Amino acid sequence: MNSKNSHKNISRLEGCTVIGALTVTSFVTDAATIVHGPAGCAHQSASMIQSAMLYNECYDIPEIFTSDMSEEEIIFGGEERLKETIRETVTDGRYRAIFVIGTCISDTIGDDIETVCKNASAEYNIPIIPIDASGFLGGSFEKGFISAIRGVTELIPPRRTEADAPEAPAEPEHKTVNIIAEKNLEYEVDENFAEIKRLLSLLGADVNTRIARRTTVADIARFNNAALNIIRDDPTGAISAHIKSVSDIPVIGAFPTGLSGTIEFLKDAGRLMNLDEAVIDAAVSSELKNQEEMLKRFADLKGKKVSFDLFGFQKSDSAFLDEIAERAGLKIDVDGPAIMIPFYTPIGTAGVKQMLVQWRRFINGRR
Amino acid sequence: MKQIALYGKGGIGKSTTSANLSAALSEKNLSIMQIGCDPKHDSTRMLMGGRWIPTVLDTIRDKGEEINADEIVFAGYNNIRCVEAGGPEPGVGCAGRGIIATFQLLEKLDALYGDVIVYDVLGDVVCGGFAMPMREGYAREVYLVTSGDFMALYAANNISKAIARLSNRSRNFCSLGGVICNSQNIEGELELVSEFAQKINSQLIGFIPRSQIVRVAEVNKKTVLEYAPESEQAGIYRTIADRIMQNSPDVSKKPTPLTMDELEELAQKHIKA
Repeated sequence: MNSKNSHKNISRLEGCTVIGALTVTSFVTDAATIVHGPAGCAHQSASMIQSAMLYNECYDIPEIFTSDMSEEEIIFGGEERLKETIRETVTDGRYRAIFVIGTCISDTIGDDIETVCKNASAEYNIPIIPIDASGFLGGSFEKGFISAIRGVTELIPPRRTEADAPEAPAEPEHKTVNIIAEKNLEYEVDENFAEIKRLLSLLGADVNTRIARRTTVADIARFNNAALNIIRDDPTGAISAHIKSVSDIPVIGAFPTGLSGTIEFLKDAGRLMNLDEAVIDAAVSSELKNQEEMLKRFADLKGKKVSFDLFGFQKSDSAFLDEIAERAGLKIDVDGPAIMIPFYTPIGTAGVKQMLVQWRRFINGRR
Repeated sequence: MKQIALYGKGGIGKSTTSANLSAALSEKNLSIMQIGCDPKHDSTRMLMGGRWIPTVLDTIRDKGEEINADEIVFAGYNNIRCVEAGGPEPGVGCAGRGIIATFQLLEKLDALYGDVIVYDVLGDVVCGGFAMPMREGYAREVYLVTSGDFMALYAANNISKAIARLSNRSRNFCSLGGVICNSQNIEGELELVSEFAQKINSQLIGFIPRSQIVRVAEVNKKTVLEYAPESEQAGIYRTIADRIMQNSPDVSKKPTPLTMDELEELAQKHIKA
């Protein structure tokens, strides 16, 4: 039982590995995902994803299939059934890649999904990528999510070597950036992306490809064109470590939070992309001005009292809340109305603005 | 209906013993059914004149579950009804689940009947699936087949642990019927296996001496009872069959498996240079 996490690890309570994996793979729009297990594994996951997406007003229909294992496959092994399902999916003709997600039962009986995928990939000449997601081995939503990020990055072409391209490609006019591991079920996913895109535009840079958010297989093939990789967030460091192992492109490990955090992000991103200091300085001063303008809109909050309800979470991250309060002229006081902080910290200056709107509601609600 | 299961270490002679006991029981004008619960599906071959009958799981795989009893139950020597559960190819799937599916299908087809049903179960109790015959009230009496060989006793002791564990369940139907010694001509074997049976709170049901006639019958694709009905060996199987028919073990009597140290001590006491 070596692979099982301790009971203290609450991440195990976060749900099924298969769902975590599907929130990534089903956002590669021209790929199909086969869940290799009983039909219920796919049904349960697909319904949860779709209801979460509808709640977020996101009307994409995930391309999810099941190998529909039954008792016969459990007894005799499910590899033949999986081969058949892959064949049916490939024959459909719409898909440029297929992901195969294993389940608890397929791993219990030891189906060799990797070999089935490898052989089918050679036979049909499209990428067929296995993703490990057997939750009983100690997985959770998070583990499936990371496994799927690994799986999707297999679509990145191998790094160019000098033998392939003796001359370095010409520097593109505009630098581009890959956005990695966005949380597709997060309510603010599009707002957060828009904010990152806005910040990058201050540096004259644009987005190259997203791993994975309404991304095509061809988009992923362009991965190596980027000058920078930015990860949504990566508390365990597992995603950064993986991205560094498949790409030489420099990495920023998280989207920026807070006012000074956003400024630091601009500086880091500019330097990692080797931009001229003048370009970076211009971006920074433009954003500082933007932040001042934004804070002016909350002048009515000056001198009011607030306290933060951290629920015991994110203690180490709370410094950015103090900073926002201070810059907005609020007084942190235990007698002030308790402001519940959002589960996911808001991204960039736009996130701070949205948070201040909420704070205002809390503060004025006390009147 | 008496339902018995033979468990024991792989290669100890469970199938040979089962087939000969079934043959001996069939002479008593009883309706006998023998179910081989081993993916190797070689339990009933001697009863079928050397024929490898189609296994239940192969038949399910070929035809689905809409099958008739006569496609999986075959009449062998003295009309003994023979079934082989079968299993997946070695190294894939889950054979334990296959055993469960076989029993469920036999029940659905009303094929589980007779005066005596003999379950011949592979090797050790490897997982929940292979404990199925004793778990869900199919086999009511378990007979451990062993020799004086230490590893055979070790396996038998492990199976007695499984029975002891099952007897703690609220609905337990299974008890340890006794120990059958299938001799390997080891010095002190009878005493060793007798004492082992006693120590695990059971009894020695029979001692089958090693005999060339068993091999000869086997290569002639017959049980000893069919090939040499007048032989001494045939008489021994008949005696054990009688004892099993007279035996009605108490379900509340739990086996007392030995610790490893106790088992080693016991073997050292009887097996000496």
